[in-house]
Amino acid sequence: MDKEELKKVIYEMVEKSMGKKKLKQSDILKKVSAEHGVDKSEVKAALKELLDSGQLIFTYFGGSYIEIPPKEQP
Amino acid sequence: MALKHETPLLDELEKGAFPSFVKEIKRAAETAENPDFAQDLLGQLELSYKEKVTHWKHGGIVGVRGYGAGVIGRYSDVPDRFPGVAHFHTIRVNMPAGFFYTTEALKTICDIWDKYGSGLTNMHGSTGDIILLGTKTENLEAAFAHLSSRGWDLGGSGSAVRTPSCCVGPARCEWACYDTLEATYQTTMRFQDELHRPMFPYKFKFKFAGCPVDCIASIARADMSVIGTWKGNIQINQDEVRNYASSGLDIQKEVVDLCPTECMTWDGNELKINDEDCNRCMHCLARMPKALKPGQERGATILLGSKAPIVTGALMSWVIVPFMKMEPPYEEFFELVERIWEFWDEHGKNRERIGELIERMGFPVFLREVGLEPHPAMVKEPRRDPFYFWTEEDIEK
Amino acid sequence: MAEELPERQTDIGPPHYNKFLPPVIKDNYGKWAYHEELGPGLMVHVSETGAKVWTVRVASPRLLSTASIRDICEIADKHCGGYVRWTTRNNIEFMVDDESKVEPLMNELKDKGYMIGGIGRRISNVVHTQGWVHCHSAATDASGLVKAVMDELHEYFHSKELPNKVRLAVACCVNMCGAVHCSDIAMVGVHKTPPRIEHDKVKNLCEIPSTVASCPTSAISPDPAKKSVKIKLEKCMYCGNCYSVCPAMPIADPKNDGVAIVVGGKVSNLRKPPMFSKLAVPWLPNNPPRWPEVVDAIKRILDAYIAGARKYERVGEWIERIGWEKFFKVTGLEFKLQHIDDFTFARETWRMQATFKWTD
Repeated sequence: MDKEELKKVIYEMVEKSMGKKKLKQSDILKKVSAEHGVDKSEVKAALKELLDSGQLIFTYFGGSYIEIPPKEQP
Repeated sequence: MALKHETPLLDELEKGAFPSFVKEIKRAAETAENPDFAQDLLGQLELSYKEKVTHWKHGGIVGVRGYGAGVIGRYSDVPDRFPGVAHFHTIRVNMPAGFFYTTEALKTICDIWDKYGSGLTNMHGSTGDIILLGTKTENLEAAFAHLSSRGWDLGGSGSAVRTPSCCVGPARCEWACYDTLEATYQTTMRFQDELHRPMFPYKFKFKFAGCPVDCIASIARADMSVIGTWKGNIQINQDEVRNYASSGLDIQKEVVDLCPTECMTWDGNELKINDEDCNRCMHCLARMPKALKPGQERGATILLGSKAPIVTGALMSWVIVPFMKMEPPYEEFFELVERIWEFWDEHGKNRERIGELIERMGFPVFLREVGLEPHPAMVKEPRRDPFYFWTEEDIEK
Repeated sequence: MAEELPERQTDIGPPHYNKFLPPVIKDNYGKWAYHEELGPGLMVHVSETGAKVWTVRVASPRLLSTASIRDICEIADKHCGGYVRWTTRNNIEFMVDDESKVEPLMNELKDKGYMIGGIGRRISNVVHTQGWVHCHSAATDASGLVKAVMDELHEYFHSKELPNKVRLAVACCVNMCGAVHCSDIAMVGVHKTPPRIEHDKVKNLCEIPSTVASCPTSAISPDPAKKSVKIKLEKCMYCGNCYSVCPAMPIADPKNDGVAIVVGGKVSNLRKPPMFSKLAVPWLPNNPPRWPEVVDAIKRILDAYIAGARKYERVGEWIERIGWEKFFKVTGLEFKLQHIDDFTFARETWRMQATFKWTD
């Protein structure tokens, strides 16, 4: 799977999970790797691009999660 | 410009002999480039003193792009009254190992913080970071660009590796059994990704102590406590022992009688140590630093698991590797750390520290999965109950 | 107007410590032979090469303005070649490489009002947390407690000696971001009442399963009708862990939040193994700005320790020798139901022996 495709898979996974279950970085690595047979390090590299570009962000609520940035800051 | 608030309760804490944090906040309110932060902090803190409750809201989603650690979002719950601290985020800056600074470096950080923040700091936070206390969301990226372009990176927060920290070590201590500063630096560099981009069930702290005196409190405050130790005989300079005796140290009473293993004798002329029975508690060395030195084969004991009482009670770290040479490039150490993290990643629940996980799964399971051999140094005493497990290969078929 | 920013760097880590070591430290790194304590805030380290470094230690309030850091830099520039160090307990250390430089340095520090001390068998500075200055879960203020207590005990920082070091710490809630659970005498902010559930907010702010899982006593369960959670009040021990994961469960309660005092912990291995702190006083009121009840209890404990401990005994070693029953007698602190453990490590703490001291 190429990187852009992987980024799409990750983004959609986070999007689908929003409001249901907050995903930690390791949840995403494990899940994408298992479902698509891609090495965790590749998933991680794709996720890093999403984070560096600001499409996804880390959030903190008693633990660190990965989410889509809110439209407005509280 | 924020209003100057009346602070009769806080003013009380400007009095007295010990250095006053209120004076510091007031000083920032008077002299800082952005005095509104400190001014309204005084106002809000006075309100907390009056009402006996915090006025900071929970959490917040702020950070610098790409990182999930190093910034602690903080918002006032009374922003209308104290707009200067409506946002009051903290930036954790990774301190240099050993907490040594040049004044030039400190002044650079002060310049950046005067421009982009409140002008208030903590030197240092509990974990050891330089804490830049209070700024607005829109200043974060600018502050980070200036800090990082001058060689300063952010520290850890959240479910990440927390900024590793150490005692003064070989920089200024004769007891350091390995180079705690270099071990801290190399560990920090090796795990930059794990420090900036949280990927664990919860936090993971490293603390490097040069000897069993543990001036960095690693055994109580670090998931991984690396405590310097030695093998072989304590090095004795008998002339210096006699000098201590003649200058008034009661060696029998203050040294020999307080040895927990009763491995020493003193006949008024010669100090004898049965090193086989010594457990390296450091009491005798601390009483006579001129006369006694750690043995020559030096390294560290690796302990794992300590944490504060949240949630099921406090833990201190316990021995998982009795002796490891702690020398660059630290491959044996890093490989062990990575195996431990794999175990944690596989089995850990959200917000479960490594120590709690091992309690839940069992220490023997941890040792087996991580590949460490059992050793009597790992326990204070063997189990009292007969309820232990065997594996397939232990059973006769 | 957007300002021009320098290019940001990531994953560069901290600067290498080597850049910041004073020459005498760099030259004698790993070569130190011994040290001597020369006074309450002065020590000398002697290298195998014969070189010496004198260290003068002063207290800080930990919370420092950049203006004060610049003052510290000015002194370090004038006396110490532009180098300075902090300790893990928020003290500042000025180092000089020649005996002739010690007195002018100490004189300037004294003239400018710095408190010199914290070395040897004394009370060093107090490890503490953010409290009401910056924390959302604080049950008390930390800086204020430190100031109130140290204003009373400062003599033990800059002059008077004790049987051994006494390490004080303050944590503003049971998360204990300082080493409170292994300090000689520590104060910790505690709650006395369960969290309140803001049902309308739970839905948006909290994940029900992780909120339920956060409770160490299984007091929290889902409340499907309200799309929220419910609490079995009698099971709640007010730890506030649920509030950490669910902001819609505030636990702060100004009338009932207060300060507990725990004693007898240590982290060093000297003589006895490291020890956990144990409960001395379950609750004292938050009474800012000077917390007189807390200060009084700390002084009582310290006075009893001074009167009863043998030389080199830490607070925990002293109590272990005399017994906890005697500790309550000599301090005059009341022993209450709350002192008896009913949590994780309870069984280990009950007295399974017929020997104890009469204290009635």
